[in-house]
Amino acid sequence: MKRFTLLVVCVGLLFTAAACKQEPVNKVVQMSTTTSVNDSGLMAYLQPVFEKDTGYTLEITSAGTGAAIEKGRTGDADILLVHSKSQEEAFIGEGFGETRIPFMYNFFVIVGPADDPAGVAGKATAAEAFQAIADSGSLFISRGDDSGTHTKEKAIWASINVDPVGQAWYESTGSGMGATLTVADEKQAYTISDKATFLAHDNSLALLLEETDDMKNTYSVIAISPKRFADTNAAGAQAFIDWLKTDTARKMIAEYGVAEYGEPLFFNLN
Amino acid sequence: MIKQVLELLFGADPELRQIIGVTLRMSVMSTLISALIGIPWGVAMGANQFKGKAIVSRITNTLMGLPPVVAGLIVFLILSRSGPLGKLSLLYSVPAMVIAQVVLISPIIAGMTANIVSLRAPSINETCAGIGISGWKRLWLTIKECRIPFVTTVLAGFGRSIAEVGAVQMVGGNIQFKTRVMTTAIMMQTNMGHFEMAVALGVVLLIISFIINSLVHRIQEQTQRDRTA
Amino acid sequence: MIVLRNVVQQYGGRVVLEIPELHFVPGRRYGLIGENGSGKTTLIRMLAGTSKPTSGRIEGLEGKKVGYLPQSPYAFSFSVLENVALALDGGRDAKEIARKALVVVGMESLMEARGDRLSGGEAQRMALARVLVRSYNVLLLDEPTSSTDVRSMDLIENTLKEYVQKTQCTLIFSTHAPAQALRLADEVLYLEKGRLVEQGPAQALFHSPQDERTQAFLRHWSLNS
Repeated sequence: MKRFTLLVVCVGLLFTAAACKQEPVNKVVQMSTTTSVNDSGLMAYLQPVFEKDTGYTLEITSAGTGAAIEKGRTGDADILLVHSKSQEEAFIGEGFGETRIPFMYNFFVIVGPADDPAGVAGKATAAEAFQAIADSGSLFISRGDDSGTHTKEKAIWASINVDPVGQAWYESTGSGMGATLTVADEKQAYTISDKATFLAHDNSLALLLEETDDMKNTYSVIAISPKRFADTNAAGAQAFIDWLKTDTARKMIAEYGVAEYGEPLFFNLN
Repeated sequence: MIKQVLELLFGADPELRQIIGVTLRMSVMSTLISALIGIPWGVAMGANQFKGKAIVSRITNTLMGLPPVVAGLIVFLILSRSGPLGKLSLLYSVPAMVIAQVVLISPIIAGMTANIVSLRAPSINETCAGIGISGWKRLWLTIKECRIPFVTTVLAGFGRSIAEVGAVQMVGGNIQFKTRVMTTAIMMQTNMGHFEMAVALGVVLLIISFIINSLVHRIQEQTQRDRTA
Repeated sequence: MIVLRNVVQQYGGRVVLEIPELHFVPGRRYGLIGENGSGKTTLIRMLAGTSKPTSGRIEGLEGKKVGYLPQSPYAFSFSVLENVALALDGGRDAKEIARKALVVVGMESLMEARGDRLSGGEAQRMALARVLVRSYNVLLLDEPTSSTDVRSMDLIENTLKEYVQKTQCTLIFSTHAPAQALRLADEVLYLEKGRLVEQGPAQALFHSPQDERTQAFLRHWSLNS
């Protein structure tokens, strides 16, 4: 009898302990982000602090922007962290998310052969640089994968009314940023990249143009609408959004990359 | 989604056809070159006893199991702008993919050929020795006797070549209209969330694979029948 | 005269044949008998040159024309006629000679059949015809009638006798059937476990074997036949 009482007490204690741990009801927040964000190392840097501050566990998957957003459509994510305004707006337009919350930015860069045959260096805007590349017929390597970077690149071509697809000087790799930089390096061609990936990538290309207004790259988060997927972890997603606004998070973002590259890789908005 | 896949398959999507074209060109070229290298290599291994045969067949077996990404890496480093053959500017071209494929497939064809030949060679060699046939004439007879199973090794090589992805991505670069083949396109389309195109390409790949397997099966059945009839 | 001196054959460290000394006199017919694995095939293959002895020497074969029929001869996938003509360096009358040789072994009806579609017995007769289209100084046959049916046996044995008569060659053959050695050979050699146990004129060896191992083998054979 005594032994049985002890067993009941133990089991009871276990349940209590489990109940206490479940303070955030669903502890796991699934985040879908793009390879470029993941490759920059930013999320690995923020994740442990967010988890410690809030008690949530973050599960991050990364894919090209198209596939990353697709995971929101299929209900395989609670929150998106992406950088492709037009695709984000389409996503919200379809009702999968309610608001797009831009929270940080950085700049794309145009890189190319050090001797810069098209004369990209010193141009005032990316549009002028692209025009120079098209005019000189210098080889340009595009990611061609509907990523945020590719979307930005297409917007710049559209702004100068050039349709590069099918041109002899334009090649599309359908690959990630790293693979595309490797191809550009091998072919000594121009390409557009996010700065973090370019700095982290071993190549002989030169950084020819940066920080022009038309190369601003804005990162946003979008919580998946619980109206679409009832079991989405809306509370967890909101907790991440709130945490991004804290001083801790803002300070961490502003400092990221300074130690390694001597300059920040991301800037807080507002 | 099924409707969109069917539209892609039976419609006239020019990019799909172009990708299939590059794939077939690459696979046919690499299979032919691999056969030209692999068959004589395999015949030499299978038809004769010679010093160092054990080491040669061990090397061949190792190469047969060479991971495609390793083959891709080696060919990449050789053809890279800073590599020994960088001057040829072959990287990210169909010939580069063919080279990587030949590195992968010719040992496979050689190994299979050696197996086929070594099944018949002892008996052929013994018989030929008894009636005064030797050297090239004996070798020629051996090759002639193995010609039908050789077709199956070449088909197996083709099947392998058309399904290869890792090495081809590394040295071909998946460049649109140039080096994009079915496998690398499937990977890319899946990454982009364009599942219709990925499935359509997958269906084509499966159909080709099925045709090759049926051919191999028929040839093997045929030879079986000839031997036991 | 063919002479074997201290011939040893090993496979993977195991001795499969060991013959201190053995002579084959030109123009005589020798029959090898013994169980499976007694070394008959190894001995014939060494004489044919398709297996090199681990140690020892075989003398007297230099410059001799040696014909050899292996135990499982290969039947090529072309026609029976072409299979036989293969042995004839493609001379102008090769096909004619091959045709005659096939008639002799009773295969006139199968000349155009494909070699790889013959039955075991047919393939063996074809292979025999292929060897017999040429004349040799030494003829080596490894169980030439192992798949031959009883009806063709006389035909094959008579063909062999005529061939030896005509060419005056030295004949060395192995057989599963001791009676065949009695019918075809001048001299019989009994091998057991890679060693030559007894050798003698056919009649003498069969009727009064000296070694008890030979006696046991022959007794066993006569009980079973």
